[in-house]
Amino acid sequence: MDSKEIGQLLEKYWNCETSLEEEQLLRSYFNGPDVPEQLKDAAELFRFFEGERRRTLSESFDSDMMRTVKKTERKAKVVSMVRWVQVARIAAGVLVVVVAGYFVRNEVMKTTPEDTFSDPRQALEETKKALMMISKSFGKAKEGVGKINMFNEAEDKITGKEKTSDSTEEDKTNI
Amino acid sequence: MNFEMFESRVLPVKNKLFRFAFRLLGSSEEAKDVVQEVFIRVWNGRDQMADIDNMEAWCMRITRNLSLDKLRARQRKATDSIEDNFDIQQDTHTPYEAAENNENMQRISQLIASLPEKQRQVMHLRDIEGYSYNEICEILELDMNQVKVNLFRARNAVREKFIKINAYGL
Repeated sequence: MDSKEIGQLLEKYWNCETSLEEEQLLRSYFNGPDVPEQLKDAAELFRFFEGERRRTLSESFDSDMMRTVKKTERKAKVVSMVRWVQVARIAAGVLVVVVAGYFVRNEVMKTTPEDTFSDPRQALEETKKALMMISKSFGKAKEGVGKINMFNEAEDKITGKEKTSDSTEEDKTNI
Repeated sequence: MNFEMFESRVLPVKNKLFRFAFRLLGSSEEAKDVVQEVFIRVWNGRDQMADIDNMEAWCMRITRNLSLDKLRARQRKATDSIEDNFDIQQDTHTPYEAAENNENMQRISQLIASLPEKQRQVMHLRDIEGYSYNEICEILELDMNQVKVNLFRARNAVREKFIKINAYGL
């Protein structure tokens, strides 16, 4: 490729019209030995680009990096253990609630009364007996309440008197 | 992804990531830290990595983001200017630099370092790494037009400041 063609390609390069292949062509041309004087500066630029491409990390980087990665792997395992502990805690909580629920249910079942009689007539007699007993108790209680009523009547009489005495006083002041 | 896949498919892009981080940060030590951070992220997220079409472009993007974060953190705390931190002459000389570390190379390096951030990124990805425009769009999260405009400005800035000045001796 002669310098005229290179000059044209360079002009395309400045205008950002070159393809990657053409730019590669320029790079290899300018890194070659036969660069004419008038293109010396452009050559410097392309040599700079080529030089920069060779900037690399040190040799030990890979092994350092793999060691670091393996270290973070171990850390990740510890983290997952912590997560398991969390899950176990929640599971334990749920288990306690379920077991407690089971026992409570059993207790409730026990307190539900069973049928004591198979014969309906006998059951009726028993029920009557029970109701009679309640009725008797009510009767006794009523007698007691009657006595309390005496107190109420007495209280009414006293307060009634007071009211009348109040009114007589008022009458007096009016006169 | 297992260790073998990581070693054979991810680790080989290290130098591209390193050079990109170096272009943005100007420090090989910090650039190396960024590359390590990117790889640790890849490894920790290896279960989701299968969904990524272009692993290399993804790594480059993370490299750029982490480098810019570092740059911002540095700007926040630094009392001295970025230029002082931007030590282009590092211990990691390329073989070329070692052989012919002349004035012009330094001038080009400084010239590129002085370009606006986007122009510098686009020029690096195209002219040094040889990425296609589509890949550059993906890495930098820019549209095609922005990529081309930035590349055009970068190339022309270099042309104006280096080629012409040298040619006419101004």
